[in-house]
Amino acid sequence: MTKTTSILALTRRRFLGGAAALGGLAATGWTGRAFAQEPEKPAEIIVRAWGGSWVAALQAGVSDPFTAATGIAVRHDLTEDNEIQPKVWAAVAQGRVPPIHINWDTTTNATKSALRGVTEDLSDLPNLANTTELAKPVGLDGYPIVNTYGYVYVLAYRPSAFPDGAPASLQVLLDPKFKGRIALYNDGIGFHFPAQVAGGGKLEDIPANMEPAWEFIRKVKAQEPLLGEDPDFTTWFQNGEIDLAVTISTNAREAMKNGIDLAWTVPEEGSKFETDGLWIPKGLPANELYWAKQYINFALTVEAQQVWLDGLGLPGVVPGVTPPEGLAGDPSYPTEPEDFKRLIRIPTAIQVEHESDWFSQFKAIMQG
Amino acid sequence: MPTSKHAYPFRWRVMDAIEGAASILWPSRFSRGLPYLMLLPAVLLVMLLVIGMIQIAESSAHTLDRTTFLASEDYTGANYSQIFSTGLYWTVLWRSLLGSVIVTAICLVFAFPYSYLMVRTPSALLRKFLLIALFLPFFIGQVVRAYGWLIILGNQGVANGLLGLVGIEPIRLLYNYPAVLFGLVQYMLPFAVLMLAPALTAIPEEMESAANSLGASWWRTFIHIVLPLAKPGLVGAGLVVLTLSLTDFAMPAILGGGSQDFIANAIYDQFFRTSDQGMGAALTLILVGVGSLAVGLVFTLFGAGTLAMGRDKK
Repeated sequence: MTKTTSILALTRRRFLGGAAALGGLAATGWTGRAFAQEPEKPAEIIVRAWGGSWVAALQAGVSDPFTAATGIAVRHDLTEDNEIQPKVWAAVAQGRVPPIHINWDTTTNATKSALRGVTEDLSDLPNLANTTELAKPVGLDGYPIVNTYGYVYVLAYRPSAFPDGAPASLQVLLDPKFKGRIALYNDGIGFHFPAQVAGGGKLEDIPANMEPAWEFIRKVKAQEPLLGEDPDFTTWFQNGEIDLAVTISTNAREAMKNGIDLAWTVPEEGSKFETDGLWIPKGLPANELYWAKQYINFALTVEAQQVWLDGLGLPGVVPGVTPPEGLAGDPSYPTEPEDFKRLIRIPTAIQVEHESDWFSQFKAIMQG
Repeated sequence: MPTSKHAYPFRWRVMDAIEGAASILWPSRFSRGLPYLMLLPAVLLVMLLVIGMIQIAESSAHTLDRTTFLASEDYTGANYSQIFSTGLYWTVLWRSLLGSVIVTAICLVFAFPYSYLMVRTPSALLRKFLLIALFLPFFIGQVVRAYGWLIILGNQGVANGLLGLVGIEPIRLLYNYPAVLFGLVQYMLPFAVLMLAPALTAIPEEMESAANSLGASWWRTFIHIVLPLAKPGLVGAGLVVLTLSLTDFAMPAILGGGSQDFIANAIYDQFFRTSDQGMGAALTLILVGVGSLAVGLVFTLFGAGTLAMGRDKK
């Protein structure tokens, strides 16, 4: 005998579940508007994300609660941000439905998409009212992107290799004893600006004169650095391949969680501060666009940011988020104006215009 | 005695009906066109590639407007000028060419005895073992194999572990040019064996026996009989390994530690890292051009080998 249950049957469990979901919606800033003219729900929405601890944090903080509240499944597409970009651009240019609903992207990359005109305007998200100025993309009209947190390219190091304490300066990268045991991003991202200072140059000279940066990078090249992407840093630290890396603190933190003894610092030259954000490509059906916006709106609640950014160990854009254990006051977790004094912020517009030149120059040095 | 209605088996009559229908659809006067009809799918497939190449060529003539991140309207050769005036691209191109030639040479040297033993051994067991060892790597993708080498050759890998047993400190075996070439040789070797084996099978064993019975040593037989007759296989195998190595992406990306890019990695960077499709397209065309020139050179010097299907110049 097969037991059947009417979907309309109101059991005690269903009632409590529904009440909890409604309570959750109300608590996270979902107003009655969501119920007044709610468009048809899609079966799922697709969010492009970075893998590993990055997607795990997003899932715990945003995707799973969103699904619990709306019943809409969230699928994470782990295609690299750089690889999804041309696919989205081509879909919009050809009038096709884009392959994703939401792109979790670097602000610089996202700005390129905004300049190309493939992003939806997100200015009408109610929860934007509760965000700090960090959420607003600089130099763009409205909100084609919503920045969701900031991060620092710290100098991560293995404490056992530094018995006298944290390295104070990037000049440590030139120490012969670390030859072959340092790592940078393979396009130099996060390193160009501190290298400019380490090479004796000024940040005000960016982008007109970056020769000091290239000169310093040439010296670093002689140290035979490993060049990779986010997951590589964690792997290299874990496998004992490197002692030093200029990387996002999240990657070092991930290796620490896996039992590797690591620490990080902001060197005297400073570290690059950057933001990531969420955006929606044009070309989605109206109902899917609506729910994609609701997803981003939900990502801007204190509750979502608290769990998501606890996982990443990064400062968010909504006041009231408690720093993860051990990160309050950490240089990789800037929240106060004082914290930003040691961090390097170059306007997005300059980065967008010149980034490919910097990548090429870095490659030319490292491939030579 | 009446003639049976079933003088022919039912199956024959079905075949007759099918033949009749086929002759209506494709009359016998069209029979000369049958080979061309069978060729059509392949030609269409190649045509699709040609159309893609035309689009890539068109794209390569536009630069990226960094205020809108759209391709410029004007046609220009600026992408090509930049490539030929930038040392990075010359370095990467030279590294790719040199690497593919080295990998091809090593693969041919290693593949020859393997193939020879595989086709000549009287032991069925050994032949089966060699065949299994040959095909097993095909079930493991290139990326997985490259990651396997990371585990084996890493600072805390098996190789350094063995060196540690004899008191040698861990040494950096990965993330350099030799590591990339090593990975490529390991990946390409089965292709070379597969291309060589049919050519060696086609050499009659009797010819080697005749040479031996006339007093030729094994070495002289190899030099004067086996090697010349195996030339078509060597050329075919060399061409396949050369072109695949020249265009390889994964091994330089994974085993090169970010500093040993081949031209395919530079193309990837332009398409996906800097969003400059015009520059990526220009590099793609240059790669196709260089690869075609290399193949043309081999054809000119050595003929097309087994790829000529017996119509090679004598």
